[in-house]
Amino acid sequence: MYGYYDPPFSVEKDGISISLDKTGDRWVYRRTSGKDEVEKLVLGDRKRIIINPVEPLNTPKEITPNLLIEFEKTVLLAGGEKRQIFLTFPVEIGVFISDIGDKNPQLIDVLSLSRQKFTLYGEVSNGVVCKHWKSRLYSVSPDLNPLQEGVMELTLRNASSEWASISKAVFSAYGMKLYYDGDVFMKARMEILNRNTAETGFDMQPVNGEMKGYLVKDQKIRKEAFGVYSLRKLGFVPLKFYMGWGF
Amino acid sequence: MILPDINLPAILPDLNLLDNVLYTTSKSQVTPGDLIKFVIVLTFSIIFLRVIIIYLRRTLKDHVSKDVGEPILKLLYYGSLVVIFISILPLIGIDPSGLLLAGGVAGIVLGFASQNIVGNLVSGCFLMFERPIKIGDQVDVNGIAGYVTDIRIISTLIRTYDGLLVRIPNQQVFTTNITNIVGHPVRRFEYTIRIRYSDDAGAAIWLIKDLIDKEPFALLSPSPSVFVNELGDSSVNIVVRIWAPVSEWFGLKTRLLWNIKKTLEENGIEIPYPQRVLHIKSETEKKPQLAEEPNINRLEETEPVLNFEERVLN
Repeated sequence: MYGYYDPPFSVEKDGISISLDKTGDRWVYRRTSGKDEVEKLVLGDRKRIIINPVEPLNTPKEITPNLLIEFEKTVLLAGGEKRQIFLTFPVEIGVFISDIGDKNPQLIDVLSLSRQKFTLYGEVSNGVVCKHWKSRLYSVSPDLNPLQEGVMELTLRNASSEWASISKAVFSAYGMKLYYDGDVFMKARMEILNRNTAETGFDMQPVNGEMKGYLVKDQKIRKEAFGVYSLRKLGFVPLKFYMGWGF
Repeated sequence: MILPDINLPAILPDLNLLDNVLYTTSKSQVTPGDLIKFVIVLTFSIIFLRVIIIYLRRTLKDHVSKDVGEPILKLLYYGSLVVIFISILPLIGIDPSGLLLAGGVAGIVLGFASQNIVGNLVSGCFLMFERPIKIGDQVDVNGIAGYVTDIRIISTLIRTYDGLLVRIPNQQVFTTNITNIVGHPVRRFEYTIRIRYSDDAGAAIWLIKDLIDKEPFALLSPSPSVFVNELGDSSVNIVVRIWAPVSEWFGLKTRLLWNIKKTLEENGIEIPYPQRVLHIKSETEKKPQLAEEPNINRLEETEPVLNFEERVLN
Protein backbone atom coordinates (compact mmCIF):
# COMPACT_ATOMS: atom_id res chain seq x y z
CA MET A 1 0.00 0.00 0.00
CA TYR A 2 2.88 2.35 0.72
CA GLY A 3 4.10 4.34 -2.24
CA TYR A 4 3.49 7.23 -4.60
CA TYR A 5 0.24 7.46 -6.56
CA ASP A 6 -0.79 9.71 -9.42
CA PRO A 7 -4.54 10.38 -9.47
CA PRO A 8 -6.96 8.93 -10.30
CA PHE A 9 -6.06 5.88 -8.26
CA SER A 10 -7.56 3.40 -5.85
CA VAL A 11 -5.75 1.05 -3.50
CA GLU A 12 -7.10 -1.49 -1.04
CA LYS A 13 -5.43 -3.72 1.54
CA ASP A 14 -6.15 -5.19 4.99
CA GLY A 15 -9.60 -3.60 5.10
CA ILE A 16 -8.28 -0.16 4.19
CA SER A 17 -9.45 1.47 1.00
CA ILE A 18 -7.94 4.71 -0.28
CA SER A 19 -8.87 6.46 -3.51
CA LEU A 20 -8.66 9.80 -5.27
CA ASP A 21 -11.16 10.12 -8.10
CA LYS A 22 -12.38 12.93 -10.27
CA THR A 23 -16.04 13.84 -9.80
CA GLY A 24 -17.04 16.61 -12.21
CA ASP A 25 -14.32 19.22 -12.02
CA ARG A 26 -13.07 18.32 -8.57
CA TRP A 27 -11.05 15.54 -7.01
CA VAL A 28 -12.52 13.56 -4.14
CA TYR A 29 -10.33 11.77 -1.62
CA ARG A 30 -12.02 8.82 0.06
CA ARG A 31 -10.75 6.49 2.75
CA THR A 32 -12.55 3.70 4.52
CA SER A 33 -11.16 1.60 7.31
CA GLY A 34 -13.66 -0.53 9.19
CA LYS A 35 -16.49 1.77 10.24
CA ASP A 36 -14.28 4.81 9.82
CA GLU A 37 -14.91 6.84 6.66
CA VAL A 38 -13.19 10.02 5.50
CA GLU A 39 -14.06 12.08 2.44
CA LYS A 40 -12.29 15.27 1.40
CA LEU A 41 -12.42 17.53 -1.63
CA VAL A 42 -9.16 18.35 -3.36
CA LEU A 43 -9.15 21.54 -5.40
CA GLY A 44 -6.15 21.67 -7.69
CA ASP A 45 -4.59 19.60 -10.43
CA ARG A 46 -1.19 18.05 -10.97
CA LYS A 47 -1.08 16.62 -7.45
CA ARG A 48 0.36 13.41 -6.16
CA ILE A 49 -0.66 11.21 -3.25
CA ILE A 50 2.00 9.70 -1.04
CA ILE A 51 1.09 6.94 1.39
CA ASN A 52 3.77 6.08 3.88
CA PRO A 53 4.23 5.09 7.53
CA VAL A 54 4.35 7.98 10.00
CA GLU A 55 5.19 8.40 13.66
CA PRO A 56 2.68 6.43 15.76
CA LEU A 57 1.49 9.44 17.72
CA ASN A 58 -1.30 10.99 15.67
CA THR A 59 -4.27 8.72 16.39
CA PRO A 60 -6.79 8.62 17.97
CA LYS A 61 -5.73 12.15 18.86
CA GLU A 62 -2.36 13.80 19.02
CA ILE A 63 -1.87 14.48 22.72
CA THR A 64 1.80 13.67 23.18
CA PRO A 65 4.98 13.45 21.10
CA ASN A 66 6.38 10.61 23.23
CA LEU A 67 6.29 6.87 22.61
CA LEU A 68 6.94 4.44 25.47
CA ILE A 69 7.88 0.92 24.44
CA GLU A 70 7.55 -1.56 27.27
CA PHE A 71 9.72 -4.67 26.88
CA GLU A 72 7.95 -7.96 27.32
CA LYS A 73 10.98 -9.25 29.20
CA THR A 74 13.42 -7.20 31.22
CA VAL A 75 16.88 -6.83 29.70
CA LEU A 76 19.92 -6.97 31.96
CA LEU A 77 22.91 -5.18 30.48
CA ALA A 78 26.36 -5.32 32.05
CA GLY A 79 28.26 -2.11 32.79
CA GLY A 80 30.17 -0.75 29.81
CA GLU A 81 28.43 -3.16 27.39
CA LYS A 82 26.87 -2.30 24.04
CA ARG A 83 24.28 -4.59 22.44
CA GLN A 84 21.68 -4.48 19.69
CA ILE A 85 18.15 -5.77 19.98
CA PHE A 86 15.11 -5.62 17.74
CA LEU A 87 11.77 -4.34 18.98
CA THR A 88 8.45 -3.67 17.38
CA PHE A 89 6.58 -0.38 17.34
CA PRO A 90 3.07 0.57 16.21
CA VAL A 91 2.73 2.06 12.74
CA GLU A 92 0.34 4.74 11.60
CA ILE A 93 -0.41 5.24 7.93
CA GLY A 94 -0.07 8.80 6.72
CA VAL A 95 -1.60 10.05 3.47
CA PHE A 96 0.07 13.14 2.03
CA ILE A 97 -0.73 15.28 -0.96
CA SER A 98 2.14 16.96 -2.75
CA ASP A 99 2.94 18.95 -5.83
CA ILE A 100 4.50 17.16 -8.76
CA GLY A 101 8.12 16.54 -7.84
CA ASP A 102 7.02 15.67 -4.30
CA LYS A 103 7.34 19.24 -3.13
CA ASN A 104 5.27 20.74 -0.29
CA PRO A 105 3.85 17.50 1.08
CA GLN A 106 0.81 18.11 3.24
CA LEU A 107 -0.78 15.52 5.52
CA ILE A 108 -4.41 14.96 4.60
CA ASP A 109 -5.22 11.82 6.54
CA VAL A 110 -3.77 9.45 9.09
CA LEU A 111 -5.05 6.12 10.33
CA SER A 112 -3.93 3.21 12.42
CA LEU A 113 -4.65 -0.50 12.67
CA SER A 114 -2.65 -0.90 15.88
CA ARG A 115 -3.86 -0.98 19.46
CA GLN A 116 -4.11 2.49 20.97
CA LYS A 117 -3.21 3.04 24.58
CA PHE A 118 -1.58 5.77 26.62
CA THR A 119 0.38 5.72 29.84
CA LEU A 120 2.23 8.06 32.16
CA TYR A 121 6.00 8.02 32.42
CA GLY A 122 7.17 9.53 35.68
CA GLU A 123 5.32 11.11 38.54
CA VAL A 124 1.71 12.32 38.54
CA SER A 125 2.87 15.86 39.29
CA ASN A 126 5.52 16.23 36.59
CA GLY A 127 5.61 13.12 34.43
CA VAL A 128 4.88 12.91 30.73
CA VAL A 129 1.98 11.23 28.97
CA CYS A 130 3.23 8.71 26.40
CA LYS A 131 1.70 6.49 23.76
CA HIS A 132 2.17 2.93 25.04
CA TRP A 133 3.32 -0.11 23.14
CA LYS A 134 4.37 -3.50 24.45
CA SER A 135 6.98 -5.27 22.40
CA ARG A 136 8.65 -8.65 22.32
CA LEU A 137 12.42 -8.63 22.04
CA TYR A 138 14.09 -10.16 19.01
CA SER A 139 17.69 -10.94 18.20
CA VAL A 140 17.00 -10.69 14.46
CA SER A 141 14.48 -8.54 12.64
CA PRO A 142 11.04 -10.16 12.74
CA ASP A 143 8.62 -10.35 9.83
CA LEU A 144 5.63 -8.15 10.56
CA ASN A 145 2.61 -6.68 8.85
CA PRO A 146 4.00 -3.29 7.75
CA LEU A 147 0.56 -1.69 8.00
CA GLN A 148 0.44 -2.50 11.71
CA GLU A 149 3.95 -2.82 13.12
CA GLY A 150 7.44 -1.70 12.34
CA VAL A 151 10.87 -2.92 13.39
CA MET A 152 13.12 -0.86 15.61
CA GLU A 153 16.77 -1.67 15.79
CA LEU A 154 17.75 -0.46 19.24
CA THR A 155 21.36 -0.11 20.28
CA LEU A 156 21.68 -0.30 24.05
CA ARG A 157 24.84 1.12 25.61
CA ASN A 158 25.47 1.02 29.30
CA ALA A 159 27.80 3.93 30.04
CA SER A 160 27.75 3.19 33.76
CA SER A 161 29.83 0.60 35.56
CA GLU A 162 26.83 -1.18 37.10
CA TRP A 163 24.38 -3.68 35.67
CA ALA A 164 21.32 -2.03 34.18
CA SER A 165 17.87 -3.57 34.30
CA ILE A 166 15.90 -2.21 31.33
CA SER A 167 12.17 -2.77 30.91
CA LYS A 168 11.10 0.25 28.88
CA ALA A 169 12.33 2.98 26.60
CA VAL A 170 10.74 6.36 25.82
CA PHE A 171 11.32 8.11 22.49
CA SER A 172 10.49 11.58 21.24
CA ALA A 173 8.66 11.74 17.92
CA TYR A 174 10.58 14.85 16.94
CA GLY A 175 13.67 12.77 16.26
CA MET A 176 11.97 9.81 14.59
CA LYS A 177 12.97 8.86 11.10
CA LEU A 178 11.05 6.06 9.44
CA TYR A 179 12.10 4.03 6.41
CA TYR A 180 9.97 1.63 4.47
CA ASP A 181 10.10 -0.92 1.70
CA GLY A 182 8.14 -4.07 2.37
CA ASP A 183 8.78 -3.43 6.06
CA VAL A 184 8.84 -0.31 8.25
CA PHE A 185 12.08 0.43 10.01
CA MET A 186 13.58 2.78 12.57
CA LYS A 187 17.04 2.81 14.06
CA ALA A 188 17.32 4.06 17.62
CA ARG A 189 19.79 4.16 20.46
CA MET A 190 19.52 4.18 24.21
CA GLU A 191 22.36 5.16 26.45
CA ILE A 192 22.20 4.22 30.12
CA LEU A 193 23.76 7.08 32.05
CA ASN A 194 23.34 5.80 35.58
CA ARG A 195 21.03 3.74 37.78
CA ASN A 196 17.93 5.81 37.01
CA THR A 197 18.59 7.88 33.93
CA ALA A 198 19.02 7.19 30.26
CA GLU A 199 18.90 9.06 26.99
CA THR A 200 17.23 7.89 23.81
CA GLY A 201 17.51 9.16 20.27
CA PHE A 202 17.37 8.12 16.65
CA ASP A 203 20.03 7.52 14.06
CA MET A 204 19.61 9.23 10.72
CA GLN A 205 22.28 7.07 9.19
CA PRO A 206 21.64 4.59 6.40
CA VAL A 207 19.85 1.46 7.41
CA ASN A 208 22.01 -1.35 8.65
CA GLY A 209 22.78 -3.85 5.93
CA GLU A 210 22.32 -6.76 8.36
CA MET A 211 18.77 -5.70 8.98
CA LYS A 212 17.15 -8.95 7.95
CA GLY A 213 19.97 -11.18 9.10
CA TYR A 214 20.12 -13.33 6.01
CA LEU A 215 18.29 -10.99 3.60
CA VAL A 216 20.61 -8.14 2.75
CA LYS A 217 18.94 -4.77 2.20
CA ASP A 218 20.50 -1.41 1.97
CA GLN A 219 19.29 2.13 2.39
CA LYS A 220 19.20 2.79 -1.34
CA ILE A 221 16.30 0.38 -1.66
CA ARG A 222 14.41 1.46 1.43
CA LYS A 223 12.66 4.82 1.10
CA GLU A 224 12.67 7.51 3.72
CA ALA A 225 9.14 8.30 4.89
CA PHE A 226 7.69 11.77 5.19
CA GLY A 227 7.03 12.30 8.88
CA VAL A 228 4.23 14.34 10.42
CA TYR A 229 6.58 15.80 12.99
CA SER A 230 9.52 16.31 10.68
CA LEU A 231 7.39 18.41 8.30
CA ARG A 232 6.61 20.92 11.02
CA LYS A 233 8.57 24.09 11.34
CA LEU A 234 10.06 23.49 14.73
CA GLY A 235 12.03 25.78 16.95
CA PHE A 236 14.25 24.54 19.67
CA VAL A 237 12.72 21.14 20.21
CA PRO A 238 15.00 18.46 21.67
CA LEU A 239 15.28 15.44 19.38
CA LYS A 240 16.45 13.21 22.22
CA PHE A 241 14.43 12.06 25.20
CA TYR A 242 15.94 12.18 28.66
CA MET A 243 14.56 9.35 30.79
CA GLY A 244 14.84 10.69 34.30
CA TRP A 245 12.34 8.41 36.04
CA GLY A 246 14.00 5.09 35.44
CA PHE A 247 13.92 2.52 32.70
CA MET B 1 0.86 96.14 -7.66
CA ILE B 2 2.38 97.66 -4.62
CA LEU B 3 1.47 96.36 -1.26
CA PRO B 4 0.67 98.92 1.36
CA ASP B 5 3.21 99.28 4.07
CA ILE B 6 1.73 97.20 6.86
CA ASN B 7 3.46 96.44 10.10
CA LEU B 8 2.91 92.63 10.23
CA PRO B 9 4.47 92.06 13.67
CA ALA B 10 1.97 94.54 14.99
CA ILE B 11 -0.97 92.55 13.56
CA LEU B 12 0.41 89.06 14.35
CA PRO B 13 1.95 89.60 17.71
CA ASP B 14 3.98 86.39 17.84
CA LEU B 15 4.23 83.62 15.22
CA ASN B 16 6.86 81.72 17.20
CA LEU B 17 4.34 80.29 19.58
CA LEU B 18 6.38 77.13 19.85
CA ASP B 19 9.30 79.08 21.24
CA ASN B 20 7.34 80.69 24.02
CA VAL B 21 8.43 79.62 27.44
CA LEU B 22 5.70 77.63 29.14
CA TYR B 23 7.50 77.09 32.41
CA THR B 24 11.00 77.03 33.73
CA THR B 25 12.65 74.28 35.69
CA SER B 26 15.98 74.29 37.46
CA LYS B 27 17.58 72.70 34.40
CA SER B 28 15.91 74.38 31.46
CA GLN B 29 13.04 76.36 30.04
CA VAL B 30 10.21 74.32 28.51
CA THR B 31 8.42 75.57 25.42
CA PRO B 32 5.28 74.22 23.72
CA GLY B 33 7.64 72.85 21.06
CA ASP B 34 9.39 70.73 23.70
CA LEU B 35 6.06 69.49 24.94
CA ILE B 36 4.95 68.55 21.41
CA LYS B 37 8.31 66.84 20.80
CA PHE B 38 7.80 64.85 24.01
CA VAL B 39 4.32 63.76 22.95
CA ILE B 40 5.46 62.91 19.39
CA VAL B 41 8.46 60.87 20.56
CA LEU B 42 6.32 59.03 23.10
CA THR B 43 3.57 58.34 20.55
CA PHE B 44 6.01 57.09 17.92
CA SER B 45 7.77 54.96 20.52
CA ILE B 46 4.48 53.33 21.51
CA ILE B 47 3.58 52.68 17.87
CA PHE B 48 7.06 51.39 17.12
CA LEU B 49 7.04 49.11 20.15
CA ARG B 50 3.60 47.77 19.25
CA VAL B 51 4.76 46.98 15.72
CA ILE B 52 7.82 45.20 17.11
CA ILE B 53 5.66 43.24 19.57
CA ILE B 54 3.21 42.20 16.84
CA TYR B 55 6.12 41.10 14.66
CA LEU B 56 7.71 39.17 17.52
CA ARG B 57 4.37 37.59 18.43
CA ARG B 58 3.96 36.32 14.87
CA THR B 59 7.55 35.13 14.70
CA LEU B 60 7.45 33.32 18.03
CA LYS B 61 4.00 31.84 17.45
CA ASP B 62 5.29 28.58 15.97
CA HIS B 63 8.29 28.30 18.24
CA VAL B 64 7.22 29.34 21.72
CA SER B 65 3.98 28.48 23.49
CA LYS B 66 1.61 31.35 24.19
CA ASP B 67 1.88 31.05 27.95
CA VAL B 68 5.65 31.56 27.76
CA GLY B 69 5.75 34.09 24.94
CA GLU B 70 3.09 36.50 26.19
CA PRO B 71 4.72 37.35 29.56
CA ILE B 72 8.06 37.88 27.82
CA LEU B 73 6.49 40.19 25.23
CA LYS B 74 4.62 42.13 27.91
CA LEU B 75 7.78 42.52 29.95
CA LEU B 76 9.63 43.71 26.86
CA TYR B 77 6.87 46.16 25.92
CA TYR B 78 6.35 47.76 29.32
CA GLY B 79 10.07 47.66 30.18
CA SER B 80 10.99 49.45 26.94
CA LEU B 81 8.20 51.96 27.46
CA VAL B 82 9.46 52.85 30.93
CA VAL B 83 13.05 53.25 29.66
CA ILE B 84 11.89 55.49 26.78
CA PHE B 85 9.65 57.54 29.04
CA ILE B 86 12.43 58.19 31.53
CA SER B 87 14.95 58.98 28.81
CA ILE B 88 12.70 61.66 27.18
CA LEU B 89 11.71 63.31 30.46
CA PRO B 90 14.50 65.96 30.02
CA LEU B 91 12.50 67.25 27.02
CA ILE B 92 9.85 68.55 29.39
CA GLY B 93 12.43 69.76 31.84
CA ILE B 94 12.30 66.91 34.30
CA ASP B 95 15.60 65.51 35.43
CA PRO B 96 15.21 61.71 35.78
CA SER B 97 17.79 61.68 38.57
CA GLY B 98 15.50 63.99 40.48
CA LEU B 99 12.83 61.33 40.27
CA LEU B 100 14.81 59.26 42.70
CA LEU B 101 14.38 61.94 45.34
CA ALA B 102 10.95 63.06 44.25
CA GLY B 103 9.93 59.47 43.74
CA GLY B 104 10.36 58.77 47.42
CA VAL B 105 7.87 61.40 48.46
CA ALA B 106 5.61 61.06 45.43
CA GLY B 107 5.70 57.31 45.79
CA ILE B 108 4.28 57.50 49.28
CA VAL B 109 1.54 59.89 48.16
CA LEU B 110 0.76 57.85 45.04
CA GLY B 111 0.99 54.64 46.99
CA PHE B 112 -1.76 55.71 49.34
CA ALA B 113 -3.83 57.12 46.51
CA SER B 114 -3.54 54.12 44.25
CA GLN B 115 -2.69 51.20 46.47
CA ASN B 116 -5.24 48.94 44.76
CA ILE B 117 -3.79 49.64 41.33
CA VAL B 118 -0.24 49.20 42.55
CA GLY B 119 -1.27 46.06 44.41
CA ASN B 120 -2.78 44.64 41.23
CA LEU B 121 0.30 45.67 39.27
CA VAL B 122 2.69 43.97 41.68
CA SER B 123 0.46 40.89 41.86
CA GLY B 124 0.42 40.83 38.06
CA CYS B 125 4.22 40.81 38.00
CA PHE B 126 4.33 37.97 40.53
CA LEU B 127 1.73 36.02 38.55
CA MET B 128 3.89 36.36 35.44
CA PHE B 129 7.04 35.24 37.21
CA GLU B 130 5.74 32.63 39.63
CA ARG B 131 3.26 31.34 37.08
CA PRO B 132 0.75 29.47 39.23
CA ILE B 133 -1.53 29.75 36.20
CA LYS B 134 -0.74 30.10 32.52
CA ILE B 135 -2.68 31.32 29.52
CA GLY B 136 -4.85 28.43 28.31
CA ASP B 137 -5.03 26.70 31.71
CA GLN B 138 -8.36 25.61 33.15
CA VAL B 139 -8.61 27.12 36.60
CA ASP B 140 -10.98 27.79 39.45
CA VAL B 141 -10.28 31.13 41.07
CA ASN B 142 -12.52 32.01 43.96
CA GLY B 143 -15.37 29.96 42.55
CA ILE B 144 -14.94 31.23 39.00
CA ALA B 145 -14.01 28.29 36.78
CA GLY B 146 -12.92 28.45 33.17
CA TYR B 147 -10.02 28.99 30.77
CA VAL B 148 -7.38 31.66 31.40
CA THR B 149 -7.46 33.76 28.24
CA ASP B 150 -5.00 36.48 29.27
CA ILE B 151 -2.87 37.56 32.20
CA ARG B 152 -2.58 41.33 31.99
CA ILE B 153 -0.55 43.70 34.06
CA ILE B 154 -3.54 44.65 36.24
CA SER B 155 -6.07 41.88 35.75
CA THR B 156 -6.55 38.30 34.63
CA LEU B 157 -9.21 37.34 32.09
CA ILE B 158 -11.09 34.08 32.44
CA ARG B 159 -13.54 32.65 29.94
CA THR B 160 -15.99 30.58 31.90
CA TYR B 161 -17.20 27.23 30.60
CA ASP B 162 -20.47 28.84 29.53
CA GLY B 163 -18.62 31.47 27.51
CA LEU B 164 -18.68 34.48 29.80
CA LEU B 165 -15.65 36.73 30.10
CA VAL B 166 -14.71 37.45 33.70
CA ARG B 167 -12.05 40.00 34.62
CA ILE B 168 -10.48 39.35 37.99
CA PRO B 169 -8.06 41.87 39.54
CA ASN B 170 -4.62 40.31 39.87
CA GLN B 171 -4.47 41.05 43.58
CA GLN B 172 -7.52 38.86 44.08
CA VAL B 173 -6.07 36.12 41.91
CA PHE B 174 -2.78 36.20 43.76
CA THR B 175 -4.19 36.22 47.27
CA THR B 176 -6.97 33.67 46.84
CA ASN B 177 -6.91 29.90 46.46
CA ILE B 178 -6.31 28.88 42.86
CA THR B 179 -7.20 25.41 41.66
CA ASN B 180 -5.36 24.67 38.45
CA ILE B 181 -7.37 21.88 36.88
CA VAL B 182 -4.67 21.16 34.30
CA GLY B 183 -1.70 21.78 36.57
CA HIS B 184 -0.59 18.15 36.34
CA PRO B 185 -0.39 16.06 33.19
CA VAL B 186 -2.91 13.49 34.40
CA ARG B 187 -5.86 13.34 36.75
CA ARG B 188 -8.14 10.72 38.25
CA PHE B 189 -11.90 10.39 38.20
CA GLU B 190 -14.20 7.96 39.91
CA TYR B 191 -17.55 6.21 39.53
CA THR B 192 -19.58 4.15 41.95
CA ILE B 193 -21.43 1.39 40.10
CA ARG B 194 -24.21 -0.34 42.03
CA ILE B 195 -25.22 -3.90 41.17
CA ARG B 196 -27.77 -6.30 42.68
CA TYR B 197 -26.80 -8.72 45.42
CA SER B 198 -27.87 -11.53 43.12
CA ASP B 199 -25.38 -10.43 40.41
CA ASP B 200 -21.84 -11.73 40.12
CA ALA B 201 -19.58 -8.89 41.30
CA GLY B 202 -16.50 -10.68 39.90
CA ALA B 203 -18.05 -10.75 36.43
CA ALA B 204 -19.02 -7.09 36.69
CA ILE B 205 -15.47 -6.13 37.66
CA TRP B 206 -14.08 -8.15 34.76
CA LEU B 207 -16.44 -6.46 32.28
CA ILE B 208 -15.60 -2.99 33.58
CA LYS B 209 -11.84 -3.70 33.43
CA ASP B 210 -12.23 -4.93 29.87
CA LEU B 211 -14.01 -1.72 28.88
CA ILE B 212 -11.29 0.39 30.52
CA ASP B 213 -8.64 -1.60 28.68
CA LYS B 214 -10.29 -0.78 25.34
CA GLU B 215 -10.28 2.96 26.05
CA PRO B 216 -7.04 4.52 24.69
CA PHE B 217 -7.12 7.45 27.09
CA ALA B 218 -7.65 5.35 30.23
CA LEU B 219 -4.02 5.24 31.30
CA LEU B 220 -2.16 2.00 31.90
CA SER B 221 -0.03 3.72 34.52
CA PRO B 222 -1.13 4.86 37.07
CA SER B 223 -3.23 1.75 36.76
CA PRO B 224 -7.01 1.88 37.07
CA SER B 225 -8.63 0.20 40.04
CA VAL B 226 -12.01 -1.54 40.15
CA PHE B 227 -13.14 -3.11 43.43
CA VAL B 228 -16.13 -3.80 45.67
CA ASN B 229 -16.11 -0.89 48.05
CA GLU B 230 -19.28 -1.34 50.03
CA LEU B 231 -22.12 -3.74 50.70
CA GLY B 232 -24.89 -1.18 50.61
CA ASP B 233 -28.52 -1.30 51.71
CA SER B 234 -29.82 -2.08 48.26
CA SER B 235 -26.75 -2.89 46.23
CA VAL B 236 -23.17 -4.07 46.05
CA ASN B 237 -21.16 -0.91 45.35
CA ILE B 238 -18.22 -1.18 42.95
CA VAL B 239 -15.81 1.73 42.81
CA VAL B 240 -14.04 2.46 39.52
CA ARG B 241 -11.01 4.77 39.57
CA ILE B 242 -9.36 5.77 36.30
CA TRP B 243 -6.46 8.04 35.46
CA ALA B 244 -6.58 10.00 32.21
CA PRO B 245 -4.64 12.81 30.51
CA VAL B 246 -5.98 16.17 31.73
CA SER B 247 -7.01 17.13 28.22
CA GLU B 248 -9.12 13.99 27.79
CA TRP B 249 -10.55 13.06 31.19
CA PHE B 250 -13.94 14.71 30.81
CA GLY B 251 -14.75 13.15 27.44
CA LEU B 252 -13.61 9.77 28.70
CA LYS B 253 -15.62 10.09 31.91
CA THR B 254 -18.87 10.89 30.13
CA ARG B 255 -18.37 8.24 27.43
CA LEU B 256 -17.25 5.39 29.64
CA LEU B 257 -20.01 5.61 32.25
CA TRP B 258 -22.71 4.96 29.69
CA ASN B 259 -20.69 2.17 28.10
CA ILE B 260 -20.34 0.49 31.50
CA LYS B 261 -24.10 0.73 32.07
CA LYS B 262 -24.91 -0.73 28.65
CA THR B 263 -22.33 -3.52 28.89
CA LEU B 264 -23.45 -4.60 32.35
CA GLU B 265 -27.08 -4.71 31.25
CA GLU B 266 -26.20 -6.68 28.13
CA ASN B 267 -24.61 -9.24 30.41
CA GLY B 268 -27.58 -9.49 32.74
CA ILE B 269 -26.12 -7.34 35.49
CA GLU B 270 -28.52 -4.65 36.52
CA ILE B 271 -28.33 -1.51 38.57
CA PRO B 272 -30.96 -1.99 41.31
CA TYR B 273 -33.50 0.50 42.49
CA PRO B 274 -33.39 1.34 46.19
CA GLN B 275 -35.33 -1.37 47.99
CA ARG B 276 -36.34 -2.39 51.47
CA VAL B 277 -37.50 -5.82 52.61
CA LEU B 278 -40.54 -5.79 54.86
CA HIS B 279 -41.38 -8.72 57.12
CA ILE B 280 -45.04 -8.71 58.05
CA LYS B 281 -46.02 -10.57 61.12
CA SER B 282 -49.18 -12.62 60.77
CA GLU B 283 -51.96 -12.80 63.30
CA THR B 284 -50.68 -16.25 64.23
CA GLU B 285 -47.41 -14.83 65.49
CA LYS B 286 -49.17 -12.03 67.33
CA LYS B 287 -51.59 -14.41 69.03
CA PRO B 288 -49.78 -17.66 69.74
CA GLN B 289 -52.68 -18.84 71.94
CA LEU B 290 -54.74 -19.50 68.80
CA ALA B 291 -53.88 -23.07 68.01
CA GLU B 292 -55.06 -23.76 64.46
CA GLU B 293 -55.63 -21.39 61.57
CA PRO B 294 -57.29 -22.32 58.34
CA ASN B 295 -55.02 -22.78 55.29
CA ILE B 296 -56.17 -19.50 53.81
CA ASN B 297 -54.39 -17.59 56.61
CA ARG B 298 -51.14 -19.33 55.78
CA LEU B 299 -51.42 -17.98 52.29
CA GLU B 300 -51.71 -14.47 53.69
CA GLU B 301 -48.36 -14.90 55.47
CA THR B 302 -46.59 -15.22 52.16
CA GLU B 303 -48.78 -12.70 50.38
CA PRO B 304 -46.76 -10.07 48.49
CA VAL B 305 -46.33 -6.80 50.30
CA LEU B 306 -48.12 -4.84 47.62
CA ASN B 307 -51.24 -6.98 47.84
CA PHE B 308 -51.18 -6.74 51.57
CA GLU B 309 -51.08 -2.94 51.42
CA GLU B 310 -53.83 -2.89 48.83
CA ARG B 311 -55.99 -4.99 51.06
CA VAL B 312 -55.39 -2.77 54.04
CA LEU B 313 -56.07 0.37 52.05
CA ASN B 314 -59.20 -1.06 50.58
